[in-house]
Amino acid sequence: MLSIYFGEPQTETYIYNPDAFFNNRHMADWLTEPLSVEMIRDVDKSEVVGPNLIQSPFLGPIPPERLSGGVKTLIMIDHDGEHLFNASACGDNCAKWLLVIGDEKDRTVRLGYIMDFGRDKFDIRIENTNKIVHSMTEMTEEIVRKHLL
Amino acid sequence: MGVEQMVGKYSIEVTSNYTRYFLTVERNITVIQGRSATGKSELIRLLTSYETDGISSGVIVRSDVPIHVVDSRQWEILIQSYSKCIIFIDETADFVKSEDFARLVQKNNNYFVIVNRDPLKQLSYSIEEIYGFRVSHESQKYHGAYRVYNELYHLYHLTPGSSIAPTKVITEDTNSGFTFFQKLFNEKCIAAGGKSRVVDKLDELDSGEDVLLIVDGAAFGSEIARVIRYLYNHQMNCAVYAPESFEYLLLRAGFVSVSKKMLEETYNYADSARYISWEDFYTSVLIRESQGTVYRYSKQRLNSAYLSDASVTKVKREIPPQIKV
Repeated sequence: MLSIYFGEPQTETYIYNPDAFFNNRHMADWLTEPLSVEMIRDVDKSEVVGPNLIQSPFLGPIPPERLSGGVKTLIMIDHDGEHLFNASACGDNCAKWLLVIGDEKDRTVRLGYIMDFGRDKFDIRIENTNKIVHSMTEMTEEIVRKHLL
Repeated sequence: MGVEQMVGKYSIEVTSNYTRYFLTVERNITVIQGRSATGKSELIRLLTSYETDGISSGVIVRSDVPIHVVDSRQWEILIQSYSKCIIFIDETADFVKSEDFARLVQKNNNYFVIVNRDPLKQLSYSIEEIYGFRVSHESQKYHGAYRVYNELYHLYHLTPGSSIAPTKVITEDTNSGFTFFQKLFNEKCIAAGGKSRVVDKLDELDSGEDVLLIVDGAAFGSEIARVIRYLYNHQMNCAVYAPESFEYLLLRAGFVSVSKKMLEETYNYADSARYISWEDFYTSVLIRESQGTVYRYSKQRLNSAYLSDASVTKVKREIPPQIKV
């Protein structure tokens, strides 16, 4: 399940800058995995050519380090369950992929803004209050009433 | 020697082999956010490359003032060393939420462009200076900045063509603006107790209310996303009216004589080295120009001269016609 911590976490496993973390810690073969290929195609509108080469319609042929911060963060979240990644590096267009990852794995991320997870029902645990929410209405109510942001 | 003033509206163009960016900056703080992969980090990378290697970087930067990129290394020293520049800060810089940064940015003679999705609560920035990037579909090369919140009448979350006759009116606080709007809307008007409490106040209301939320657009930037997200997810019938500030409305209403140009081209007058925000500027102008007149202004306590029927009528003319009083 996907869990979200809203606000400023006080833990040594918190990665504020997942972009830099990805650049120095990702493994090349992660990029050719089916989920990574799909996320890169959807978020960055780019095609993975190989473990170290992506074809971008905006930037031409690029190495993984030039991917967007959002997709780098998603890839790290998918592969690293030990760290708490700052998902504020991800825009709303990454939300569905966080749900996809959360369907398969237990992952906790940090958010500093109200990401739009869409109109469909979902299961997200709010780490701050241990409440499971199923819609954006429930999520925003929990954030507002418990003053999480 | 005095600090040089920082005023003006600056167009920035950044070009590389694959991309071209256009952005206009006219206030002390501009925030860039939005969807992933719209080129925000690439812009920062190009500016950093240009700052390091100049024309040898191959990046072309067109700007009438110098541009610098500041990251987490020695940011305080660097910011204090710059003058009349535009300083870009990427979302990877964790100091942007610190009180030290807020103190440095206030009354600073540089403009700041900050890439960040989180609300920067310790900073006063305008709703209208929150931008996203849009890629031109024809070429996939041109990244034009667009205002995320940009409505002609500063009226948000209202269906185009419709109007609102509010059953409840919420103002940010209990200062002069509240006193005026309470005169206008009577017992329907309540105060939130601060901009960070606006969403809490919305949450307390019955779902059947028709709500008008009045905020100072020039300084509400850190709260607008939370408000809009809340309204969207609760399908609340609430319109957000965000003029620059209450003082701006009074200046436009003509209680004191100020040049129209100053109100329409405030970027040429509101020195960021002297004013925290345009709200701060308009308040200062109104206080100064109303001194010694019957309309002497105080932000904390509204002069009764502004509450006469004639005065109320003058201000009402500045309020969008979609708001039914």
